[in-house]
Amino acid sequence: MASLEPAQNKTWDLSLYELQRKPQEIITDSTEIAVSPRSLHSELMCPICLDMLKKTMTTKECLHRFCSDCIVTALRSGNKECPTCRKKLVSKRSLRADPNFDLLISKIYPSREEYEAIQEKVMAKFNQTQSQQALVNSINEGIKLQSQNRPQRFRTKGNGSGGGNGGGSGVNVGVSRAGHATHGHNTGSNDSNTNGNESDNRDPGHSGAGTSAHSSTSTAAATSAGTSGASTSATRMHIDDASNPPSVRSTPSPVPSNSSSSKPKRAMSVLTSERSEESESDSQMDCRTEGDSNIDTEGEGNGELGINDEIELVFKPHPTEMSAENLLIKALKENCIRYIKTTANATVDHLSKYLAMRLTLDLGSDLPEACRVLNFCIYIAPQPQQLVILNGNQTLHQVNDKFWKVNKPMEMYYSWKKT
Amino acid sequence: MAQNISPEQSGGAGGSSSVKHNDDSLPIKDNHAVSKRLHKELMNLMMANEKGISAFPDGENIFKWVGTIAGPTNTVYAAQTYRLSLDFPNSYPYAAPVVKFLTPCFHPNVDLQGAICLDILKDKWSALYDVRTILLSIQSLLGEPNNESPLNAQAAMMWNDQKEYKKYLDAFYEKHKDT
Repeated sequence: MASLEPAQNKTWDLSLYELQRKPQEIITDSTEIAVSPRSLHSELMCPICLDMLKKTMTTKECLHRFCSDCIVTALRSGNKECPTCRKKLVSKRSLRADPNFDLLISKIYPSREEYEAIQEKVMAKFNQTQSQQALVNSINEGIKLQSQNRPQRFRTKGNGSGGGNGGGSGVNVGVSRAGHATHGHNTGSNDSNTNGNESDNRDPGHSGAGTSAHSSTSTAAATSAGTSGASTSATRMHIDDASNPPSVRSTPSPVPSNSSSSKPKRAMSVLTSERSEESESDSQMDCRTEGDSNIDTEGEGNGELGINDEIELVFKPHPTEMSAENLLIKALKENCIRYIKTTANATVDHLSKYLAMRLTLDLGSDLPEACRVLNFCIYIAPQPQQLVILNGNQTLHQVNDKFWKVNKPMEMYYSWKKT
Repeated sequence: MAQNISPEQSGGAGGSSSVKHNDDSLPIKDNHAVSKRLHKELMNLMMANEKGISAFPDGENIFKWVGTIAGPTNTVYAAQTYRLSLDFPNSYPYAAPVVKFLTPCFHPNVDLQGAICLDILKDKWSALYDVRTILLSIQSLLGEPNNESPLNAQAAMMWNDQKEYKKYLDAFYEKHKDT
């Protein structure tokens, strides 16, 4: 133990440890050593405030480092000893400033303010997920935003579904469910805008716990989104107008890292979004990588809460019951095939309601009078030519497990019930 | 937000010994710095996923936490779980939090009100201690009591006969099952 040696008998003799240890080999070639930000962080951190060292002070005897403010306060308030090892520290004179270390930090983190801003952001996100009140608030906020948007899209239909879902079910799932319900009411006309807004609106609710959900989305949906090794990036997607060139926005991370690149390729719907075939050409995805999630990957890891798997669907009219002579199919024309991506928590009932809503809105006045009441049966084809009708209260996740299993968009069929 | 409200200093809540570390005459960094450190601790604690201990703020106030300790294995306390309260002063981490057992604990250094006699929570406190190290220290105190300065003299006397002690302990928990 170092403390066995009284301070007075200071000698320049080597200690037992120093006699034993092998000298570290000097690197003479151009070898580069990568140090993980996490291990670096513990070196540069003040053990008192757990922040990065600020105006480093080093104890003269035991060489432990603290922020100037922290160690001064500690010495004034507690025992006159080193907080790390309890070596006696008589006063401030047992400390010395360590400008070299400050310099080192400023070399590694040239923009400290930015680092701190990011830290604050991560903490804020983290707190949001920790605080129940904040969660409830964000859910309410989401519901409010949804109900604000809803009347613009259609005035006649009931208002409650989004709110009811959001309030009723569990926290995280609740948020995504509520989102799903709203998307069900999206109109075709302003698809691109509303979708963009929705994902923005939902962000507060999703923050923190949502980061991993976002990134899993990115891997599932857009394999093109490359993430750098050092910083985990949460990926968020927008549907933007084709005139906007796909842009990559990456918050510069203070850690030198391989620049993260992502190449948005083609239209992919994310979160819950839908497009019909002909709209594919005029809406284009803009895939944005945000480096804001964290540098230390500290923000991730608590994302297990959400069951945010998503499922892609191809919705086709029933081959026999919805033949070309069917009134509805005539009205729909090429719009009859639907591509949908939604949460695996949605049930078959949700889908059929959604479909009804969507078709009503798409067709508008073209909708034949006879078809005003839209009720759908939903089928899946585990094998070609074999259609199984689906029970309304199964979730898509269950359907997928039971009938589909393969890793490609689930193909489902709909037919119109005349009742 | 409500999280930044500091606890009202509960009068006389600390142990009977000198509470000089918990009074407000100490240099106080702004509350923001204290809650920031507590948030960091919480984050680290959740990342570390330490076995046998856990802690979480009790409600919206970040200055009050509830921790749990699993009784150390190979001791008479194995298989027990204890809940503790941690009250952080405004001067944290320069002063120790007030830590008390919420679950009744029959132990030489714990009194029946739950107060703990542990040097690092009193004069041996260091700003480097945190929730994690406090809980780990209390956990190891369970298995290795300091019988020199007992708060519970009966427990200290019985400690030497571990078999008898265990028997008494089991009866003790049977009695306090509801609390």
